[in-house]
Amino acid sequence: MKEKYTYHSVQSEIKFEENTVKSFNKIDSLDQSFRVYENGFLGVHYQKGEMSDDEGFSRARENLSLKRPYPYQPESGVRSRNKCERVLTDKELMDLARTCLSHLSEKYPNFILSGGFYQYHNDEHWVNENGLDYQNIDCNVDANICFKHIDSKDISDGWFSLGDRDFKPEKLYKMAAHYLGSFEKEVELPEEIIVQKQYYDYTEKLIESLNAEKIALGTSLLSGKVGQKVFADSFTLLHDVSDEECWHNTFWDGEGCVIPDDKRVFIENGVVLSGYSDKRTAKKYGVPHTANAGGNYTDIPSIGWLNARIRRSEKTVKELLDGRLSIIPVQYSGGGFNDKGEYVMPVHLALLSDGENILGKLPPFTLSGNMFDMFGKDFIGVGSDNPIFNDKQILVRMNVIKQD
Amino acid sequence: MYRFPKDLYADVRINENVQSNIYIKNGEVENNTSVSVTGAIVRVYDGEMWYSSVTNDLSAIQQELDDLAGLAKPNPDILNDPMVKNFEVNRAEVLIYDGENDLRKVGREQKMQLLEGLIADCVDDSIPEINSWDAFYNDTHTVKRFYSSKGAAITQDKQACAAGIYFQITVNGVTTSGGKSQRKMDLGSIKNLSQEIIAERDRTLDFARNAVDVTPGDYTCVLAPVVTAMFTHESFGHKSEADFMLNDKTLRDEWIMGKTVGNEKVSICDSGDMPNHGYTPYDDEGSKARETWLIKNGVLTGRLHDAHSAAVLGEEITGNCRAQSYQCMPMVRMTNTYMQGGSDNVEQMISEVEDGIYVYCVNYGTGQSTFTMQPSICYRIRDGKLAEPIRANVVTGSVFKTLFDIDAVGDDFELFDSYFCGKNGQTVSVSAGGPTIRVKSLTVN
Repeated sequence: MKEKYTYHSVQSEIKFEENTVKSFNKIDSLDQSFRVYENGFLGVHYQKGEMSDDEGFSRARENLSLKRPYPYQPESGVRSRNKCERVLTDKELMDLARTCLSHLSEKYPNFILSGGFYQYHNDEHWVNENGLDYQNIDCNVDANICFKHIDSKDISDGWFSLGDRDFKPEKLYKMAAHYLGSFEKEVELPEEIIVQKQYYDYTEKLIESLNAEKIALGTSLLSGKVGQKVFADSFTLLHDVSDEECWHNTFWDGEGCVIPDDKRVFIENGVVLSGYSDKRTAKKYGVPHTANAGGNYTDIPSIGWLNARIRRSEKTVKELLDGRLSIIPVQYSGGGFNDKGEYVMPVHLALLSDGENILGKLPPFTLSGNMFDMFGKDFIGVGSDNPIFNDKQILVRMNVIKQD
Repeated sequence: MYRFPKDLYADVRINENVQSNIYIKNGEVENNTSVSVTGAIVRVYDGEMWYSSVTNDLSAIQQELDDLAGLAKPNPDILNDPMVKNFEVNRAEVLIYDGENDLRKVGREQKMQLLEGLIADCVDDSIPEINSWDAFYNDTHTVKRFYSSKGAAITQDKQACAAGIYFQITVNGVTTSGGKSQRKMDLGSIKNLSQEIIAERDRTLDFARNAVDVTPGDYTCVLAPVVTAMFTHESFGHKSEADFMLNDKTLRDEWIMGKTVGNEKVSICDSGDMPNHGYTPYDDEGSKARETWLIKNGVLTGRLHDAHSAAVLGEEITGNCRAQSYQCMPMVRMTNTYMQGGSDNVEQMISEVEDGIYVYCVNYGTGQSTFTMQPSICYRIRDGKLAEPIRANVVTGSVFKTLFDIDAVGDDFELFDSYFCGKNGQTVSVSAGGPTIRVKSLTVN
């Protein structure tokens, strides 16, 4: 039984340094993974660049000599998904970059800007002799803007980024107005500390803890807690590969498995339903198979892919704040979660917000919290809208240690 | 060779890389991979902008050169461009890993045997708190070729291999990870790791059983050599990369040569010529490596450059223009960066601390005006002696203040080859080093 995975990626990038366009780079890249299933073993050959099917499968067959066990049946199914809305030519991308950079440089002369404009166009295709034929095509443009105030002694004062399938400069300008427009106005920390942030930074420990193998081995903070209510009533976390705001995610996992409606709930209304698993983990530990294998195209698949989403509230960020103010960490580094799930993070730059607009720049401080509290008693919600940074954002109460 | 376009600067960088990876988790082989990748980046510069493209088809390089030249604006005066003038025309073949030490000649069986030997020595099923363990071996060998329109023609190689075991140790529902890995440039240097792994396993066991939470505050801190290495790289190394200050008057005024920026015991150097993890005998625009003293006896004496930053600041190139791979444009990066060892006795350094913290090792660090490090194992120092293990999340301090606050520099210098450094989306291999140092005050949370 033969199987072939192809990943064709075309990336165009315009890079700028200190407000000046410096380079245009183009990467046209082809990755191929040839797999041969035989007698419970899997032979794999990974090739960067072109290679004929005959040679690729021949090398995969040679790789069977390593006797890499894979006693699972290949999947089947036919589906194609094209999420592209607009594909820019290189000239259009260059014009977009120059237009945006010129606008930002004129509007914010007190800032030195570096970064890039990128277009990613990816085509992933997976076929096998068992009737599987899956394809996912996607394209988006990202703008990453690093800023530094001309009077600052730091290398960088912060950054913001915008990604979209149909990139509109006006959205970027609105973000710039939030981040740069209020930078020079200094404000004080509010009494109640509510953090408003894209939630990806905060779900890292939770995702690690939901690994079904870690839960089974007793090395997860959620070991022994499956079936129990651990988090807030309003906290629901799911694996969602239909997510319109995530670019380039396939609807299949690293073993070719597809889940109903492209979604699976792992924590519902605070109750941990199960960990996530691949076929091997499910069989070895007797846990539900959840189709969360990572895409290892140089070897046999293994557990590890979760496109985690926290279910949104029906209220907007502003409504969730209910008159309170929030803080938005912009420049922060060095801390994170420890083994106990406690979170500490020095924040060098943060902004104060009313949920819709930025009110000014806060002095440095250190944030602290705890995973169980952040998604438990201190969890306020994920707004129904995307103010400030055009992305899903969590509101969570945390503690602050002020810095001198 | 290539037909380089007229009235433009152009270069071609070709990488041939072979990597292997073995990963064993709780006795099951989860990865046993060998991958070969060949690719090239072609760049053209017209005095205003770079144009580049990447290909895995080496026969297409000439076409890529011609296509990029069509996008650029011909510039008859290109050789007088200040950056182009700085590009060196070196012609060299530096292949130090193509003999008996060539990792490509080591079979999978031998690599697997090495790892299985470590597992047999170090995994002890009788320790009840160890719930899980991960063992790995990986290696990489790269041959890099560089050709420029000015006439440079360089072939060089580089390799590294690593092995180690990490244990997940659960005590009272909290899982702590610890163990040891070693990365070196040849297989022989990582063969006898068992005792070091066992020592770190047992240290982590003691930490998991006995660590207490730190009381947040400011402490006198003694940093172990591996922590000094991280501090040197993060707190000062990145600030020495000249590309962040080109048109930034504030930073240029702040980091002026000859300025005293730290205690006279502090000297920091970067050198790409050392055969360590940051080995870069010729950088990715063809410049030869230099030894660059960034701080000498507390005084700012140098910074790291590529041809562009050196031209803008009117300083000498240093051979520090590096790219993650053939897919990336190069930029100013560190190579092997270290704080020079001193003459202070380490035991005495600790004995002079009445109440402080010994930072034994760290997971990672970052550097801005405020640098941060996330420690994995710390110990309290009480009355000049190491006391109970401490669980702390982050150590922070001001770079400007901390370099002056270093009041003792130990005589136990070590260089570590396990580091990778991230900057602007690219990761490159580096070494970092230093001795034990004592800092009067750092904030520990």
